[in-house]
Amino acid sequence: MADFIGGLPYYILEFGDELVYFTPYTITLFLLALAFTLLAIISRPERQMDIAFGGDAYRTKDISISEMRFRRFMAIACGLASMGAMVTGDIFNFTLFTAMVGITNVGIVAAVKSPHVQDAAYQYGLVALSATVPLFAGAAVYAAATGSLSMIELMKGTLPAVPLVAKAMLVTGVVGEGMAPFYAAKAEMFRAPGAPYVIMCSLSSLLIFLRVVEVVMLG
Amino acid sequence: MWGHYNYGIFIVMIAAVIAFLALARERDDLHKLLLIDLIEILSLGIIALLGTDLAEALILPGLTVGIAELLALSQIYCTKEGIRSNPIMGLDIEVIKKADAPMILSIFLVVYGMILSGFTGGAVAGLGLVVLFISRSYREDLNLLEMASGISWALWIFAFFIFMFLPGFWFVALMGAAIGILLKVTVKMSLVGTMWGEQHG
Repeated sequence: MADFIGGLPYYILEFGDELVYFTPYTITLFLLALAFTLLAIISRPERQMDIAFGGDAYRTKDISISEMRFRRFMAIACGLASMGAMVTGDIFNFTLFTAMVGITNVGIVAAVKSPHVQDAAYQYGLVALSATVPLFAGAAVYAAATGSLSMIELMKGTLPAVPLVAKAMLVTGVVGEGMAPFYAAKAEMFRAPGAPYVIMCSLSSLLIFLRVVEVVMLG
Repeated sequence: MWGHYNYGIFIVMIAAVIAFLALARERDDLHKLLLIDLIEILSLGIIALLGTDLAEALILPGLTVGIAELLALSQIYCTKEGIRSNPIMGLDIEVIKKADAPMILSIFLVVYGMILSGFTGGAVAGLGLVVLFISRSYREDLNLLEMASGISWALWIFAFFIFMFLPGFWFVALMGAAIGILLKVTVKMSLVGTMWGEQHG
């Protein structure tokens, strides 16, 4: 019997290369991503205020409509990429979706015209870009060692064991796309105005990390 | 096969360590971006080491994602540094008259590419046209070439439809696909670099 980490799949769609499956675990993550994407679509962006300490002077930051539109688009794209990463049953597709989450995370804040934010986004983008190396390499070693990229096949336990190096590289890649040690680069990005969209950055990386835990425990 | 793969992985890993060391020592933002582009090639190298059709199918999306990230980052770099595009005015101080390269080189490459046919042939023939464009200070309306590229691409796709729905005519489809991809790659290659400075004047 196959060893299903996230519970028995309710539904498996095998269509050529495209393999999608829903287990109780992944469907929860998927619904969470879906809910936040819908929130990003319908919510109205915040207007950030600067208040001077010791006085009662304050000013509202002016944000152009086109900038907000671009950021909303990027937040939706980020939501879609996270949803894809939650339900895909193919290791390589998972890495591609993860890389896409990295790009859209940069995109969400890149439209802000503040030099600090731009600089932080650039540095974070460099980390995300170099993280695609272990990400893709991990997927390639998965394919080389087991001969399959399908998570359903890996669960069955009939394939050779996945080398620890491959798992380590996959996790390193996901971490580089926006988790703990490299997360510090994002701190400056969060100072960017535009509340609902910035939340998407942290939510997507959280979801991706929860999913990679399942992926790594499969093989 | 597994033994060769191990050696290959080992060499790529050494290259990756060298590249990451260079990245860690680099301080200039633009140079960092260039170095990361170099590192990106290594991840494609690891995939390519698989040496199967699957690897070929995985390289393309990997390459696309890498290029997308690179484009996004260079765009951020431009806004961050406040770089705008300023049209380059050509200096008309030609001291030495350029002599045209012999045509024979281009003709040879194009003919050889047609004999090869397919994707490789397209690349070789395209190289021949690039040589022609570069060496002959060529000024031409390139819209026609773009149109030819589009039509040959449609031919290629059409050939795939024949494969799918009328498998009996596979030979026609094969020829159509071979010619389509040959023309498309040739034209695309020849446009590389020539479309660059079009908006002057």
